[in-house]
Amino acid sequence: MPRKSELSRSLSFIRYKTLASLQVESARTYAGYLWWVFEPLANMLVYYLVFSVILPRGTDNYVAFLFAGLIPWRWFQATVMRGSNSILSAKSLMQQVYLPKIVFPTVTFLTDTFKFLVIFVLLLLFFILGGFPLGYPYLALPVIIVVQALLIAALTLLFAAITPFLPDLRVVLENLIRLWFFLSGVFYDIDMFSEHAQVYLRLNPMAVLLESYRAVFLDGVWPDMMRLGVFGALSLVLLGVGVWILFRFDYAYPKLKL
Amino acid sequence: MPTQSSNSEHALVLALHNVGVRYWKGGGLFRRHRSEFWALKDVSFQLHAGETLGVIGKNGAGKSTLLRLLAGIIKPDRGQFVNHGFQTTLLSLQIGFIPHLSGRMNIILSGILLGLTRREIEQKMASIIDFAEIGGFIDEPLQTYSSGMRARLGFSTAFHADPDVLLIDEVLGVGDASFVKKSKKVMRDRIQSDKTVVLISHSAAQIRSLCNRVVWIDGGTVAMDGPTDEVLEAYLKTTRHRRGDGERSLAGDDEED
Repeated sequence: MPRKSELSRSLSFIRYKTLASLQVESARTYAGYLWWVFEPLANMLVYYLVFSVILPRGTDNYVAFLFAGLIPWRWFQATVMRGSNSILSAKSLMQQVYLPKIVFPTVTFLTDTFKFLVIFVLLLLFFILGGFPLGYPYLALPVIIVVQALLIAALTLLFAAITPFLPDLRVVLENLIRLWFFLSGVFYDIDMFSEHAQVYLRLNPMAVLLESYRAVFLDGVWPDMMRLGVFGALSLVLLGVGVWILFRFDYAYPKLKL
Repeated sequence: MPTQSSNSEHALVLALHNVGVRYWKGGGLFRRHRSEFWALKDVSFQLHAGETLGVIGKNGAGKSTLLRLLAGIIKPDRGQFVNHGFQTTLLSLQIGFIPHLSGRMNIILSGILLGLTRREIEQKMASIIDFAEIGGFIDEPLQTYSSGMRARLGFSTAFHADPDVLLIDEVLGVGDASFVKKSKKVMRDRIQSDKTVVLISHSAAQIRSLCNRVVWIDGGTVAMDGPTDEVLEAYLKTTRHRRGDGERSLAGDDEED
């Protein structure tokens, strides 16, 4: 399609649609933006009650341990789940105007990532002011966040690309992510398993990412940068596959009966 | 099939050569359960700058598929469609509108989707608000608007987008009675200017008054292509029931989240 400035139009749409999605979330409820903070707090309170009061695990700083795992986990889960629906829910839009379909999961990714970064600042304050060890390992945080962002972007684009062809996949995905949650050590420490089991558990990038956040925040030590690098590279490859599928089928999506 | 070339002194805008568009029915996961359906089978015609081309045909003849193809939303599965570098946009009312956001934010979102740049939207903002007769409500959320106000804002934004080639599916005017009159008038004026327009309609009367050339689509092929009077005469002979004016008001929301 020869258009004057297809790219700048897409970028413009991504920018304003992301801004709009963020505004909508605040406009929809009375407390508005405060829910970005309240909701994860309420969520963490539930886990705290379950694992600290009802089923005590006996770990020191269990609340801090939980916070450091749960906040990054929620970023992952919310983005991938909403992203998998992003092209499906743009069906009426794409019948009326051409847009590269990649813009829809991109908007989801940017919206949820922005919300994560806001909460992450609170998490930082919690650990800095909470008397936990501070030091150079904090410099690893941007690396951890970038690797996780690559992983999230890759899966968001991939599932966004596939679910319009296989709508049933959403149910599978929902349960898959639930299973993934239990395998990622959100509320337990992977170190408490046997050496043998740990090897397998650390093949899961989310488990490694959560351990990395905790290494920095709770123990003040450097995370396993080597492993982070490998997962980052693999995510990049997967991201490439997702982008390729989205462009390969760009004109097929408006023809699907969604 | 006669190919009309009365406008050949004007620049060629779009050209279709034996275009076919296929949809898949049923199936889903397994290809062998699917059956193919050619919404367009073999369509050839050209569009030149300044023309107002009417597209007429029964329901399911492939008119909407054709318009989507011309808008660049889908691509042909066979044949060739060439756009010689023009921005073709479907007149999409209230596209991208989100009820929770202000009228102003919705103009920006809708304007971007319709192909305007952020700067162009800023330049046209006052005129869009003025034409829509929204006044002081422009910074209120869209969900507080009446359906008439939304329709006016949707029309005004789409009208100000003004692409190189305007594609219209039936609707010329919307809103409450007085705004229908006003919006129809500006739309007719634009169509009758030297704008390049493709207009789909059931209404022979509407096509007769606006178009200088008509393509009659039947069963996914071009049944006839020529001057308005000739094609309409032939078309009307084959149809028993003449439809009404073909105008309807669009009040549906386009929220996609």
